[in-house]
Amino acid sequence: MATRKKVLLKVIILGDSGVGKTSLMNQYVNKKFSNQYKATIGADFLTKEVIVDDRIVTMQIWDTAGQERFQSLGVAFYRGADCCVLVFDVTAPNTFKSLDSWRDEFLIQASPREPENFPFVLLGNKVDLEPRAISSKRAQQWCQSKNGIPYFETSAKEALNVEQAFQSIARNALTQQNQTVDLYNEFPDQIKLTNTTNRNSNGDSCAC
Amino acid sequence: MPATPQQLSPVEEQEKLLDEALGVVKVQAFQLKRCLDKNKLMDALKHASAMLAELRTSLLSPKSYYELYMAITDELRHMELYLLDEFQKGRKVADLYELVQYAGNIVPRLYLLITVGLVYIKSNSGLKRDILNDLVEMCRGVQHPLRGLFLRNYLLQCTRNVLPDIAETENDDGDGNVRDSINFVLMNFAEMNKLWVRMQHQGHSREKQNREKEREELRILVGTNLVRLSQLESVTMEKYQKTVLPGILEQVVSCRDAIAQEYLMECIIQVFPDEFHLQTLNPFLKSCAELEAGVNVKNIVISLMERLAAFSQRSEGVGDSGRNDQGSPTCLPPDVQLFEVFSDQVASIIANRQDLPAEDMVSLEVALVNLAHKCYPDRVDYVDKVMQNSIEVFKRLGLEKFELNTLVAKELQKLLKIPIDNYNNLLTVLKLQHYAPLMQHLDYYGRKLLSIYILNNALDSETLITTQEQVEQALNLVKTLVSDQSDQPKGEVDLEELAEEQGLLARFIHQFKSTSADQQYLVLSAARKILGVGGPLRIKHTLPPLIFQAYQLAYKYKDLKKEDDMWEKKCQKIFQFTHSTISALVKAELAELPLRLFLQGALAINQIGFDNHETVAYEFLSQAFSLYEDEISDSKAQLAAITLIVGTLEQISCFGEENAEPLRTQCALAASKLLKKPDQCRGVATCSHLFWSGKSLASNREETHDGKRVVECLKKGLRIAKQCMDVSVQVQLYVELLNHYIYFYEKGNDQISVQILNQVIGKIKEELPNLDSSDETDQITKHFNNTLEHLRSRIENPDSDVISYEGLEI
Repeated sequence: MATRKKVLLKVIILGDSGVGKTSLMNQYVNKKFSNQYKATIGADFLTKEVIVDDRIVTMQIWDTAGQERFQSLGVAFYRGADCCVLVFDVTAPNTFKSLDSWRDEFLIQASPREPENFPFVLLGNKVDLEPRAISSKRAQQWCQSKNGIPYFETSAKEALNVEQAFQSIARNALTQQNQTVDLYNEFPDQIKLTNTTNRNSNGDSCAC
Repeated sequence: MPATPQQLSPVEEQEKLLDEALGVVKVQAFQLKRCLDKNKLMDALKHASAMLAELRTSLLSPKSYYELYMAITDELRHMELYLLDEFQKGRKVADLYELVQYAGNIVPRLYLLITVGLVYIKSNSGLKRDILNDLVEMCRGVQHPLRGLFLRNYLLQCTRNVLPDIAETENDDGDGNVRDSINFVLMNFAEMNKLWVRMQHQGHSREKQNREKEREELRILVGTNLVRLSQLESVTMEKYQKTVLPGILEQVVSCRDAIAQEYLMECIIQVFPDEFHLQTLNPFLKSCAELEAGVNVKNIVISLMERLAAFSQRSEGVGDSGRNDQGSPTCLPPDVQLFEVFSDQVASIIANRQDLPAEDMVSLEVALVNLAHKCYPDRVDYVDKVMQNSIEVFKRLGLEKFELNTLVAKELQKLLKIPIDNYNNLLTVLKLQHYAPLMQHLDYYGRKLLSIYILNNALDSETLITTQEQVEQALNLVKTLVSDQSDQPKGEVDLEELAEEQGLLARFIHQFKSTSADQQYLVLSAARKILGVGGPLRIKHTLPPLIFQAYQLAYKYKDLKKEDDMWEKKCQKIFQFTHSTISALVKAELAELPLRLFLQGALAINQIGFDNHETVAYEFLSQAFSLYEDEISDSKAQLAAITLIVGTLEQISCFGEENAEPLRTQCALAASKLLKKPDQCRGVATCSHLFWSGKSLASNREETHDGKRVVECLKKGLRIAKQCMDVSVQVQLYVELLNHYIYFYEKGNDQISVQILNQVIGKIKEELPNLDSSDETDQITKHFNNTLEHLRSRIENPDSDVISYEGLEI
């Protein structure tokens, strides 16, 4: 098996607006936190090199907009993800209730090969804040009902559990990729030598 | 394969095109990676170029193109990783940066150039500024809007984390500083915005709608530039104020395109932090005023207000921040007069935008009230100011009344409901001097709906109305429910609906409660004056609660008797008040209701026992009697009324013999004059109790126990029963009378003997078998048997030595 030396993992962070997706990513990648609220529009990624089981992997972490109206082009970036991170705010019950729909939406749009085995990780963020609305037990129960998703309670503000959570995310993503990597070993569809050149001709005549 | 080409729907067509393109990408990406594995860089680049050539298509919709773009850029990242690795091992980058420029087509060429340029930046220091400038300039080469937008988006994505983000003064070498980053992004933004705006003017005008839809989809790519700027940490408040925001606003205003303007303004609000907005309200709002006519400025301003309102609430909740002296949240900078700024801007937008529909004006006011409430919850004057502004705007525009269900009326309802919902206290709403006048701009139905809303809220929050003035104001607010209005539509009144509304008002009246008794009297008098003009249909619902409130007040004075020497005078006044109030109901041609209220009054008077109360009680009872005699003609109602009168009289003990006697006799007389025989019989039987348990001063407020008169009544009852033609009714009456006899016998009336009981029982036994069998007969039999059962148990278990049932024949 021709394993390339470099491994690239694609991770998508999903969750309602304001739960702290951007903050978690910033804390993990840049070790920074800001109390200022800036809404994310569209989708954007940061990369970080991590060592998982003695392997250097590059993790590409996609931060997304929690508000649907900001995803005007759709969610094509879900495709090819190796792990999906679901985030909710432990002080806001509604954000916990939305988890199911985020998960379902991801599975529909990303259409992974084995949806039931696709790795998710759940993060309950803002544990530094009071009062708490979703108990650890309740979150665990939800994870159990979804095939044993790993659960971490984090605080992006206080850098609590963030590192550990992303380590687990990286490991889960890597496992997922190892299981699907043989895709590249099968030779792709036949190469057509004839019909590729003319396809642009029915577009405009712009040469760029 | 089928020979005939199938007609594909546009969606299928897109899917097919996209699948083909993705197929090519898959093949080329596979080859690309193979070449990289074998270290054949030149070949790899060739495959990368072939893959990128797919992005030259003009056939894909924005969403499909985005999918293709995602698939391709995912693959490019593998190449980027490889190259980074190579260069760290010592390969020359400069060569490659030259080399990729030989790619035949400009789209693949620039994608490759960006990819390599990024690797260059990451592996060499000192040239960052030049390369960034070079790349953003080179991208000008693609002027096709869709391709150009995505290409520049790629540039933006790749350069995220490498943009120099250090203060201007710190570094002026080749790696640049935040100034270079700002320039880089602003230039890219300007170019992307131009491409995006230009889309609007390409192609046929009949495809305008579709084009606008596609532009809406692509907006996110343009907005990403603003995200990049907001991510630069070296952009301080000052830099934002002086460079970043003016740069963005200039582009936004000058592009003169409504779609772009509306989106980008919203985007600024969303991506930059609230702290920045607070310091730049004026330039931002000033730009809003300069936007194209088609731009929905309302939404932009509202969006900003909502965000800042949420911000001030969020900051409230965190940490120890409280409020400063002016009652504004401490998270707001002291020099920022948030409410004033928005209030002025809203006023100027309303004044300057001729095309702004009235409902949008009101929506702006709604947002303003929400802002005032969230940021300055104690500043009732702010809310009042908004109400006043709204009135002035309507006046200036010559707008009088808004019909129910028009958009303006709906917005206005929303505006007027905010204080109700937020304060949950009608008294606070009453402090808004311009509330009632603003409400006048709703039509009759609108005002009525709002009035019902106000009442429901007052009932739910159990708001107590404690002063005369508050009563006047509150009832004025809901006057559509209190009395007829000049703009009220003529015609049939829906009585059920009216009863429901008046029921609310009646419940509300029960919340008129002062702390002091004297004040309460004033409150009730004020309410009486206003409610009195409601007309017969309304007063029958609204005056009774007032009367009961007055009775309660009289009881309260009785409790205060030790503290208030005037209590007796005050009680008299209260009963004068209720007397005249009940009389108003009589004038409205009501009979049964005032009769009951008079009787209730008589009971209260009897219990309170103030000076002169006997006369007053007599007056109340005699009023009830005249109502009975003059106004109640239905025989059933008559029986019910006389029963009530008898019941009341039986309870009253304050009459001397000269009053008690005529009243009792009057009752017995009235009962015997009832139209139907069975009614007569039951009436006189009821009267018998007056002579037994009735009390008066003559009997020292003890029970009268006039056994003779009791028996006279019952005997009369028997006589009347005998006259009934219907045997079934006759027997029924006998059974009832028997029960009366037994009752008095057990109470110790010596005028009743076992013999009499035997006679009555005998009569019943004689007639009962002759009755036709029917449900009625069954009931009578049952009643009789139960009565006998009672007697038997008494005989078997005598619980008193005095009463003996000896000789009873069952």
